Amino acid sequence: MKKLLYEITHTTIYDYLGDVSVSHHLLRLAPRTYSKQILLDHGLAISPQTATVEEHPDYFGNPAHFMAVEIPHRQLEIKSHSRVAVLPAFVPDPLETPAWEVVRARCRDDHSGQALEAHEFTYPSPMVEVADEFAEYAVASFPRARPVFDAVTDLLARIHADFTFDTTATTVSTPVMDVFRQRRGVCQDFVHFLIACVRSLGLPARYVSGYLETDPPPGKPKLRGVDASHAWASFYCPSIGWIDVDPTNNCVPSLRHITIGWGRDYSDVPPIRGVLVGSQNQQLRVAVDVVACGPTEEG
Amino acid sequence: MILSLSECRQDTIILKSQNRSQSSASMSKPPIPEETRTAEYLLHKYSAVTGAYDELQEQPGVPRAHWSPLVDSLQQLDRHELESRWENGRRIIREHGVTYNVYGDPQAIDRPWGLDFIPFIIPGEEWALLEAGLAQRSRLFNLVLADLYTGSQRLLRDGFIPPELVYANPGFLRPCRGIQVPSKVYLHLLACDLARSPNGQWWVLSDRTQAPSGMGYAWENRTVVSRVLPDQIRQSRAQPLAGFFQRQREMLFDLAPAGADRSSVVLLTPGPNSETYFEHAYLARSLGFPLVEGPDLTVRDRGVFLKTIEGLQPVGVILRRVDDAWCDPLELRGDSLLGISGLAEATRAGKVTVANALGAGLIESPAFLAFLPGLCRHLLAEELLLPSVATWWCGQAKELRYVIEHLDSLIVKPAFGSSVSSPIPPMTAAMARHKRAEHRAKFVELIEAAPRDFVAQERMKLSRAPAWAEGCLAPRAAVIRGYVANGGKSITVMPGGLARISKNPRDLAPALHSGTISKDIWVLSGAPQNVPEPAPITGETRFIERGLTGVSSRAADHLFWLGRYTERLEQLLRVLRCVLGRAAAEPGAGNAFEHGGLAELAFNLGVLSEKEIPPAGNGELTPRMLHLLYDQDEPSGVRDLLRCIRSASLAVRDRFSGDTWRILGRLDADARARPGRLALASATGLSHNLVLDLAAFNGMEMENMTRGRGWRFLDFGRRIERGMNVLKLSRAAVSVQTPAAALEPVLEIADSLMTYRRQHFTAPQLHHVLELVIREESNPRSLAFQINLLRDHVAALGADVSPASPPVEGARIQALADALRTTDLTGLAVQQASGEAHPLVAIFDAWSTELAALSDEVTNRYFSHSGART
Repeated sequence: MKKLLYEITHTTIYDYLGDVSVSHHLLRLAPRTYSKQILLDHGLAISPQTATVEEHPDYFGNPAHFMAVEIPHRQLEIKSHSRVAVLPAFVPDPLETPAWEVVRARCRDDHSGQALEAHEFTYPSPMVEVADEFAEYAVASFPRARPVFDAVTDLLARIHADFTFDTTATTVSTPVMDVFRQRRGVCQDFVHFLIACVRSLGLPARYVSGYLETDPPPGKPKLRGVDASHAWASFYCPSIGWIDVDPTNNCVPSLRHITIGWGRDYSDVPPIRGVLVGSQNQQLRVAVDVVACGPTEEG
Repeated sequence: MILSLSECRQDTIILKSQNRSQSSASMSKPPIPEETRTAEYLLHKYSAVTGAYDELQEQPGVPRAHWSPLVDSLQQLDRHELESRWENGRRIIREHGVTYNVYGDPQAIDRPWGLDFIPFIIPGEEWALLEAGLAQRSRLFNLVLADLYTGSQRLLRDGFIPPELVYANPGFLRPCRGIQVPSKVYLHLLACDLARSPNGQWWVLSDRTQAPSGMGYAWENRTVVSRVLPDQIRQSRAQPLAGFFQRQREMLFDLAPAGADRSSVVLLTPGPNSETYFEHAYLARSLGFPLVEGPDLTVRDRGVFLKTIEGLQPVGVILRRVDDAWCDPLELRGDSLLGISGLAEATRAGKVTVANALGAGLIESPAFLAFLPGLCRHLLAEELLLPSVATWWCGQAKELRYVIEHLDSLIVKPAFGSSVSSPIPPMTAAMARHKRAEHRAKFVELIEAAPRDFVAQERMKLSRAPAWAEGCLAPRAAVIRGYVANGGKSITVMPGGLARISKNPRDLAPALHSGTISKDIWVLSGAPQNVPEPAPITGETRFIERGLTGVSSRAADHLFWLGRYTERLEQLLRVLRCVLGRAAAEPGAGNAFEHGGLAELAFNLGVLSEKEIPPAGNGELTPRMLHLLYDQDEPSGVRDLLRCIRSASLAVRDRFSGDTWRILGRLDADARARPGRLALASATGLSHNLVLDLAAFNGMEMENMTRGRGWRFLDFGRRIERGMNVLKLSRAAVSVQTPAAALEPVLEIADSLMTYRRQHFTAPQLHHVLELVIREESNPRSLAFQINLLRDHVAALGADVSPASPPVEGARIQALADALRTTDLTGLAVQQASGEAHPLVAIFDAWSTELAALSDEVTNRYFSHSGART
């Protein structure tokens, strides 16, 4: 099977206005290994010296690192370096997938194995509420007995057409209802909205955090640090499993999307979450490089 | 034995009221034959409520066997005697400062605890059944939590719990899944609310697994009731409570993670604004654990440490009264200021035990009640011994239909925990019919919109227990709360608990929050002869062996400022009292001269707003003085300082003995006096009382507080403040145009008049006065005396805390002592008195600055994480 090998560098620098005496951070920066990708190598370079870096799998099985800096500092730099082999996604024929009502009934009544896991993603979560307004928007794509993937593909296209990408319209904590009203936002917002629509119909949907390899403009060399963290969604299809969909780019992720991890919404998988003792004012700089190293036979 | 002021007063009051009751009984009432009195007395108005189980009576006029001894014994006492005992009990509650705070009600922040002194009695044999049921419930919940948090969640797969009860439940803390818990004890402490139905059967109404409250109140209730009814409790052989707390304490030691110091237990509180802060402090003090707030703890190297003035001390066990979701801003609620960043990671690393475990609040969701019988059979292969009140979770289609159909006879509650507030206002019988229909429709709409968020419970007719009302016994609806502690190796049930009754007879059930009245529960001993409770007689059961000995930086900070504020208040009162005293004096020769000096002095001290002479003898007060005495919002006025004293003392409440706390309570109560008709007289009375209360506080602290570091910080604060006050007073005195006119008041304010008169037989002279209040080392009010003590404190703290680097404070205090010794105070005072020059003001200012700098240095060195104050 064809695989693509990526080298990813994700650098985050916090500048504080005053001394921070102790800081704790929870990192979700290491891409997880699962059926569609293999993490070959991962390293964290943190400055200043850390007192602790401990890895544990989080609730959803994503690798998480707890780190502590216990010496006074005014700058914190976290550099995460990963080598990942990505496999192409299995994309079924949308018309061959089961009717969406069948999926809904299955997730509600079947409490075994994968279906139980999927069941958990049908409920509201901290950043994604469930409401009639979302269902009303979604239902145009979900007529009776439409195959679920076909319906989601249609919803994806509508969101892509109806919503404007605008980096100034929202923040990381903008409620999904606001996104819906103003029809503007960034990838995180579109994903939350898609999830809200799908869950409002009683179907499971999850949030995926990761990276996207981007192309330079035609004829220009690729610049360093221009890539960014990306997010997309995933919906559940019995006997196939989870299928990724990217509302920002109206596509089904395959070889150019690298998954870090998933959760119910952004709040389950932020790349970095921190608590500081001392200065509360900070400035943040992030640079991400996703470099494709060509096909590989590894793994 | 030291007989405290409060003890004296109490005894006198008991004696007085006994006298009064005797005299009134003998004077106003003809003697009544014994039987008539019995019949007419306690039970004559007691009529059982139809359809409800009556705890007291089997049939009208006939108490059940387990109630007879108490009823008989109370019958022996005169009604007035009982009333006076209750009054004494209420006084104890006030003086112990037993309170229950109500959120969103700043006026009621110190609502006194409501206690009905008639106990709730349960016979031993009956209790044995409850005890077994409670212990079973504790084991069952623990197994359910283990499966959901560290097991395979088989209970969901196998259909014993509907998955959404967990997955849609805000109480399910996902970051805590997979964290191993020492001895597999997720639920160290469980509380259950129980009620008795008309057929005599006990039912569980709800469970508390988050951070159950009320144990401390139960213990305090027992303490009070055993002082009010000492003979009755002994004769009834009520089982003592102290043993339960002793065992619970041992259990917490046993739950410490491997490698941790067993006894390094702390009690984590959300702080003085918490509803049940009283009992947090009470339990911490009684169990001998430091009372800490989130910011007192820090996570280092994946372990938890207490910040103390000596440095970081490792913590092995956290008994938490903070809800789990608020315990770690890093992994749980990010907006929490009550938690400890990294706590979840520390539990994951196995370096600290949190009791109850983070996530344990999940299972107190009322929706679980519906599934307990099946879970019990499955997990324990036993029948559930204590049934829960019939509960329907609307998340299931059949149950939802039933609930909608029977809405009028059910109580609807939020399904997911008591922390979620119900959007549904209660439907009351008083509502008009059309209102009810409207209400019902709204109800149904709400439930159908989100059925899984609701449960409905059968509306049970609660049993009625006797309570004191208007001079006899009356039936009131009652609910009791029982407590179970799990230590891994064993489980123990508190032989008693907290009973709550409705305030008035029409209430169907005791409201949980506002206006509840509590009762002590007497579980009668099965054994014929039992050792009487040793502890509650003194009311000061304390387990003195302490694990963590350090003074937290926050506590040291509060003690330091408590010392400063009490001293500041005392000085203000002394000044006010002096001015008031002279204002009340007869107008006469010499007084005008003195009044002029005093008015100037008072103005210089900021107590009068302009150079006005308070009218002598006419009972008028100046507006400025009224403000200082009575105005809540007057900065640095009496009320304002009391507020500062209150908040500082609340924050270190666990460090004070009951007696000390009683004195602080009285200080607060005395200060509430309003200006009476005779403004001058009442103001004078007020300042007299407060000065005496403060003297009692100081005496209590001098005599009874261990000379540890906590005491040193308290005294340090006091000495700094007193030194500054002496300088301020002296400066004000030398700034008076004719200082001689102000000297007697100065001596009075500085409490040095007697000493002066013994030393000098002439009218006060400035240089003598200054020598006495500034330099006389044997005068406990002098600056020199304060400086000597401050030097001792600096040396002792330095040796204790940082032996390697002697603090710079030592040099500063020594320089000040030297300056004091070498300054020619007498010479300068003579210059000043003659009006040639005014060198003293600058000198006093410089010394004040030195004391302020010393205060800052101590603040920065020992309390670096707290904010600055003035």
